Amino acid sequence: MSQGSESDATRRSGVSDGAISSGGDGDSGSDGDTSEVAPLLAVYRHDTHKLRKRSHDAAADEFAGVRVNEDVPRGADADAALLSRPRGEPEQTVANHASPYRLSLRTGDTVVEDRVGAGEMDAAVRELVSIADAEVAHRAWLQCDVAACFNESVYYPYTSVKYHVLLAAALLSNYRAGAGFDELSFVVDDPDAAVTPHRTVFHSDRVSLRVTCEPGDRPAAALGQAPARSFADTWSRVPRRPAGVDPDEHRQWRILDAQLRRIRAWSTALQFLEDSLAAVEAAGSMGGVGGAGDAE
Amino acid sequence: MTRIQQVLFEVETPYCGHPYFVSGHALFNAVARRVDDAVARELCVSTGVFVPGEYGSLPESCSNSGFAGKVGTSLPAVETYSDLFLFRDAAQRWLLDSRPRDAHNVLDVQTHGGRQVFADKCWFGKPAAHRNNRRSVQWYVHAYLHTGRGAEDVLPVSEDVLDGVRVGGARNYGFGALSVADTQVVELDDLSYAQLTDCDAVLLDVVSPYVLGSEYPGADDQSVPWWWDVPDHGVRRRRSRLVVGDETYELTAVDHGQVVRYAGKDAMKTAKNGVLRVGTHAKYGFGELRVRPADTDRVPERADAVTGGDA
Repeated sequence: MSQGSESDATRRSGVSDGAISSGGDGDSGSDGDTSEVAPLLAVYRHDTHKLRKRSHDAAADEFAGVRVNEDVPRGADADAALLSRPRGEPEQTVANHASPYRLSLRTGDTVVEDRVGAGEMDAAVRELVSIADAEVAHRAWLQCDVAACFNESVYYPYTSVKYHVLLAAALLSNYRAGAGFDELSFVVDDPDAAVTPHRTVFHSDRVSLRVTCEPGDRPAAALGQAPARSFADTWSRVPRRPAGVDPDEHRQWRILDAQLRRIRAWSTALQFLEDSLAAVEAAGSMGGVGGAGDAE
Repeated sequence: MTRIQQVLFEVETPYCGHPYFVSGHALFNAVARRVDDAVARELCVSTGVFVPGEYGSLPESCSNSGFAGKVGTSLPAVETYSDLFLFRDAAQRWLLDSRPRDAHNVLDVQTHGGRQVFADKCWFGKPAAHRNNRRSVQWYVHAYLHTGRGAEDVLPVSEDVLDGVRVGGARNYGFGALSVADTQVVELDDLSYAQLTDCDAVLLDVVSPYVLGSEYPGADDQSVPWWWDVPDHGVRRRRSRLVVGDETYELTAVDHGQVVRYAGKDAMKTAKNGVLRVGTHAKYGFGELRVRPADTDRVPERADAVTGGDA
């Protein structure tokens, strides 16, 4: 577990304990226990202010008739943040883009217009936030286009709120099962198999990825001792690539694989993977994208 | 004496080749045609790793740590063993936190005639309405040359020979041109290996693919070396190809980027051999290994977080 900043530590010891005690014995709780839905739902709502383009300080406590902007128990939010952002005081990293809209690593542009029309944004956020069942919320976030329009922080515009929240949920779910960060693994799942509630952090027709303390016999790489921007390292060590993007099969998957070995921020990398798969989908058949130029 | 010649190439035109790195075979062929046969026989070439020319600060493990201005544009001094690998990790950990490091480090993909190629530089800037605020991040390729063991010394290879080599596909159409930005000779025996001498166990980083099987005539298949203590799930494999003239030979390799425990006896010797690469096709960049004390993390920030240090 990381040593959080002052405010993280406060959040952990103060608010989180309250949230857990209301749900009974949090340390031994299982994910399916309905009495513990509240904290897991909170993780999907804690960054609602970002979807509404507001700073943390200017965040409302209630939106669409539900409580939002609650603190995430057990430091899961702080740890998830460290997977994609450096610790310490943020500085603006892109001089001309102080905006909550995410910049795409693929195109360099914001993606808002492509994904969700400006007029539909508010309604879509409302719908996402007002989901009352934590497992349904998890599935909604996995498929969510709205949250993918926003960055985690205006200071790090290539990061993605969508994958930050999914990572925070996965960490919280594991922490609640009694696992420490150093016991977690990054797992390549079969995309045809069912999504694991709260722990699947990426899911598409081709690729399914999970953060879990129970990797079973799936190909898995350990996340390491403490949260840090280490996606490139983890991706390099995964013992098998997802079958849907097997680099041996096609040049575009080799390119994708090579890029993912370069990206360190977790939410940026997972969003890049999503955007790249969508681009292939949009281009239709895979013919004509490859080349013979990549021989060694 | 074991010396290597580090070369930093500037990528002059879009590159249409191997996406992970410029393969040692491509670099070897580009250089070999410009030198005489005796030199070509002796020459061994590493894979070329893409490096962005960007502002950075050298990590603690480097002999000169701290902010270093533009880093990828020239070769930093090499005094310790870990200095050798500063540019050889695709994640380029020296990039500054205060800038969008992932954006700087992802290769910009262009499409030329239906082929995906990597741009030689990436532009960052204001929207079109604002002029004079564009800046570019130029790409470089880090590689090194050495000679076969115990052979006559042909290093350093002159810059005239290296300048203007072309690698990757569509070379005849102007793709993949490289020019020499910097070069330096490093004496492996003179480096400090202090990090390795005081540790009980070490790990091996597979820096470039290790060839297990090859269709190339006369190349024997190999098993995973006995001195690799491979994890239970095994090691990830990948297919590669070696193109010689009109012929293409399939290679089966252990994929790079993975980490295995070291079960051998002489970590220091393995460290030096790993720089010069091991296994078949080592002449062409395959089989590069890095030795690392088992208690250090590949991602220094993780270790700092555990000890409470500031990453």
